[in-house]
Amino acid sequence: MKKPINRFLLKTLLFIIPVLIFFEVLFRLGFAPIVTDSTLFDLKMLGVQKHHVKNVKLLAMGSSITLYELNSDSMVKNFKLRYYNFASWGLQIGDMNRLLTSLVKTNQPEYVILCSSFPDFVSPPNNSYLNYINANSYMKDSFPELFYFKNYNSIHQIIRRKFNTYPLYIDSWGGASLSDKLRNINSEKWNEHDIFPTRYTPGNYAALDSLSTFLRNQKIKFIFVQVPVKKSYTNTDRSKHIILTHFDKCKSIVEAKGGIYLNYYNTAIFTDHLFIDQYHLQQAGSVILTSEIIADLKKVIK
Amino acid sequence: MLFTSAAFVFFIAVFFMLYWYVFGGNLKLQNLFILTGSFVFYAWWDWRFLFLLAGSCTVNYFLGIRIAESKNEKYRNFLLWTGLSLGLASLLFFKYFNFFVSSLISTFRVFHLQADIHTLNITLPLGISFYTFKTLSYLLDIKSEKIRPATDWVVFYSYVSFFPALLSGPIDRPKTLILQLQQKRVFDYHQASDGMRQILWGLFKKIVIADNCAALTNPIFDHYKVLPASSLLFAVFLFTIQLYADFSGYSDMAIGLASLLGFKITRNFNFPFFAQSIPDFWRRWHISLTNWFTDYVFTPLNIYFRNYGKAGLILAISINFTAIGIWHGANWTFILFGFLHGCFFIPSILRGSINKKKKNAGLTSWSLSLKAFINASATFILLMLTFIIFRANSLAQVFDFYHKLFSPSIFYRFTIVEKINTTTTLIAIAIMLWAEWLQQDKQHALQIDAIKRFPGRALIYFGLIFTILFFSPPTITDFIYFKF
Repeated sequence: MKKPINRFLLKTLLFIIPVLIFFEVLFRLGFAPIVTDSTLFDLKMLGVQKHHVKNVKLLAMGSSITLYELNSDSMVKNFKLRYYNFASWGLQIGDMNRLLTSLVKTNQPEYVILCSSFPDFVSPPNNSYLNYINANSYMKDSFPELFYFKNYNSIHQIIRRKFNTYPLYIDSWGGASLSDKLRNINSEKWNEHDIFPTRYTPGNYAALDSLSTFLRNQKIKFIFVQVPVKKSYTNTDRSKHIILTHFDKCKSIVEAKGGIYLNYYNTAIFTDHLFIDQYHLQQAGSVILTSEIIADLKKVIK
Repeated sequence: MLFTSAAFVFFIAVFFMLYWYVFGGNLKLQNLFILTGSFVFYAWWDWRFLFLLAGSCTVNYFLGIRIAESKNEKYRNFLLWTGLSLGLASLLFFKYFNFFVSSLISTFRVFHLQADIHTLNITLPLGISFYTFKTLSYLLDIKSEKIRPATDWVVFYSYVSFFPALLSGPIDRPKTLILQLQQKRVFDYHQASDGMRQILWGLFKKIVIADNCAALTNPIFDHYKVLPASSLLFAVFLFTIQLYADFSGYSDMAIGLASLLGFKITRNFNFPFFAQSIPDFWRRWHISLTNWFTDYVFTPLNIYFRNYGKAGLILAISINFTAIGIWHGANWTFILFGFLHGCFFIPSILRGSINKKKKNAGLTSWSLSLKAFINASATFILLMLTFIIFRANSLAQVFDFYHKLFSPSIFYRFTIVEKINTTTTLIAIAIMLWAEWLQQDKQHALQIDAIKRFPGRALIYFGLIFTILFFSPPTITDFIYFKF
């Protein structure tokens, strides 16, 4: 019996091995597996694995706001702690709450810094991030090629995603800068008023509360940075009231759990020309904001 | 654990190695391993329903032995009816309870009466229709002394829960599978290789055709009210193909997996789209279910109504097909679907051609006659139209859909809501139909004995493997028949 079964297995392997080699070649050519709905997140996590980013003591987390507005050069120059910016486009507070458990486990940070504004509180968490969170660490840290099979996506989709990705330069510490307006985005759309609050906003406040509690229990100092908003955005009493209520809500949640709340909403310093849209600062603006944050954090981070 | 998931690939790889290398040569251990594997496979979905499966195995195992041992006919009948009632009661409860309650409430409403009855939030245990039918045929066959009961509980439990066929069949008869479970199995290279080919063909049908069809048809069915009839016609065509590719793809994988373990299980499809009539179609579609109903429902009814001539036969067939319809699910749409298919037999019954196979029925050569082609096309169109009933959520939706379908907008240019892999899907459908037409004297389309040299065959296998890898849709859907 052994001979025919060995022959059968050998022949089966003859078909499996070329497929495995094909996927390895695909990986090495930069056609990354699709793990979540976010192209940037997948690429960043692949970069983290490739460059063995671990034991980050000053961990930045958040959406495009943290990604673009926390200037990496300034952060690295001013703090001696190992720093990395894990932020990615479109992350909601609910997503960050889930992702932080995984990132804290790998890095054991001393400080978590989160730059935020109201668009981080408008949508429900995206379940596709669970594909990454729930994957075992061997897969995440040593063998990300396995994601090709865990969350199978056709090669057609993988190739299409690679070629449709907006080219983005991410620096060595995971940050990026906004030096010109993103192409393919209608300027009206870029400057439109987001609807806020939404029916998902209370869920995101609850997630912020849970996140703050988690970090306090882990003895990690949580720094919540309220980033500036374009003056023209708050030109009505109603919008001003909404923004201020949001600030108060975030402040009360963070401070109740022992976190540090910093607010840089200052239309005198952050004038409209520093913005690229309602709440994203251009590179010059991000340098000013980061220097302000650093000045305040010098008192906290030793 | 879907057959198409990475978890199942890992499961079957480990299972296969242990089954042949560690337990090979020891029948008892192999059977015990099949049983353990089947229970793990089932519990992967929801461990709580494992108790129902195990309970059904236990009850029917002891009933089978007692029926065979007893000399008292009344007692044997009592035991048989106990087993049948328990099996049907669990099926009725899990599958049909809410349907009966809501139908009852609707009936009361017709008479302006208020019924204070509530439906329950019941989860349908996967595969319950399939394994219950296995246990029913087991008891019925013992009672009619067609088979002896299994005396080894591991054999019987393995027969009921055999994982390749547990969730969506084929519904194997006891004498097919129990006999094989009792016999020593030796690894057969040719059988295993053929099994792998059948799995590959099943994967191609499921992933490239069925799932891509689902991605194309679901948005059209969801928005059928605002789309032109031409789009609806396109969706109905694709859904007919989807249903076949999905279920026959699953059956191919199940048969292939069983072959890897040294079993030959019941064939479920025999190229149904080349059927020459509706009766011919039912000889080729979901064969294991049709045969089950023929043996245990139609034949007794036919005997019962034998004095009524053709009217009795029509009645027996109508009841049989209505029951087949109900088997599919708790909805009036399935009842109508089954009843209509029963009615399609009437012309054949009246002409006296019900059991006659047409000469060209197999479309066996390249010289395909025009008549055979017309017959196959007409049968396909009729199927397409009745699968609308199968696909709809309610009778109201069925009639609304027909109303929209038969409208002047059928001549408009059709709109596709989702455009992913449209061309690939249509090409893949053409390849499937062409390959199955060429191979219809074979068990499945990949039995390509005509190509003698291995590199030539390998090229076809790699072609299929990479087509699957390249063109799977964004979401792999559950098998349609899982919900039955």
